[in-house]
Amino acid sequence: MGSKIKKISDFSLGKITSMEHRLSGVLKPIKPRKEFVRGIAQRIQIKPRVAFVDRIANWRLIAILIAGLVSLTVFLTVLGRAIVSLANKKPNAHI
Amino acid sequence: MPEIEEQDVLFRASQGDQEAFGVLYENYVERIYNYVYYRTGNVHDAEDLTARVFFRAMHHIQTYTDRGVPFSAWLYRIAHNLIANWHRDRSRHQEIPLSDAPNLHYKGEPPEIALLQSQEKDVLLKLIRHLPAERQHLLILKFVEHMSNAEIGETMDRSEGAVKSLYHRTLLSLRDELELHDPEENLNH
Repeated sequence: MGSKIKKISDFSLGKITSMEHRLSGVLKPIKPRKEFVRGIAQRIQIKPRVAFVDRIANWRLIAILIAGLVSLTVFLTVLGRAIVSLANKKPNAHI
Repeated sequence: MPEIEEQDVLFRASQGDQEAFGVLYENYVERIYNYVYYRTGNVHDAEDLTARVFFRAMHHIQTYTDRGVPFSAWLYRIAHNLIANWHRDRSRHQEIPLSDAPNLHYKGEPPEIALLQSQEKDVLLKLIRHLPAERQHLLILKFVEHMSNAEIGETMDRSEGAVKSLYHRTLLSLRDELELHDPEENLNH
C-alpha cells in the first residue's frame, strides 16, 4: 500500500517537474517597447502645476508683446510730432 | 525599492504628487505588462490594457489604503478587472492566435524543429490562457516574476500552503490538458 502511494507521488512529482521545465521555457519575462513605456510615462508626469506655469509664461509673453507695441506706438507718435514740430519751426526761424 | 521608501512614495502619490506616481509607474510597468501580455496573448492589447491600468490607478490612487498587502496586488487587481472586461467584450469574436510574441522562436535550431517547438509553445500558452484567472496569475508570478510561494501568497492574499497546493494542482491539470490535446506528446516527456 505504502509503495503504491509512493509510486503515485513519484509519478506526480515527475509530471510536475516535467511541466515546470516546459513552463520555464514558455513563460519568460518580456520587455515592453521603450517608446510605449516612455509615452505613458510622459502622459503620467504632465503636471497641472507645470501646465499652469506654462500658461502664465504665455500670458507674460503676450503682455510683454502688447506693452512693446504700445511703447513703440507712443514712441513713433512722439517722434512724428517732434519732426512735424521741427519742420514747422524752421521757416519761422528765417523770419 | 525598499519597503519604507515605497511607503513614502505611495503616500506622496496618494496626496496627488504625480512625480511620485511616476516612480511607482517605473517600478511596476514591466510586471503589469508581463501579466497583461500573458493573459491576453498579444502585444497590442497588452500595451493598451497596461496603459489603462496605470491611468486608472492614477485616478484612484487617492483612495488607496495600505492594508498590509503589496502595492502590486492593488495594480494586479485593476489589471485583472480590465482583462475580465476585455474578455467579455471579445467573447463574441474569434480568438487571435499568439503570433506576435517577441521571443517565440528558438535561435540556432533547424527551421522544422523551431516550428515544432514554436507550435508546442503556442499550444501550452493557449492552455495557460484557458486556466482560471487565479491559476494564470500564479503561474505568471512563479515563472515570469520568479516569486517564492510566500511572496505569491502575499500578493494573492493566500497562505503559503494554499499557494503551494494550488500550484501543484495547476501543474497537474495543465499536464493532463496537454496529454488530452496531444497524447503522443506524453511519450516524448
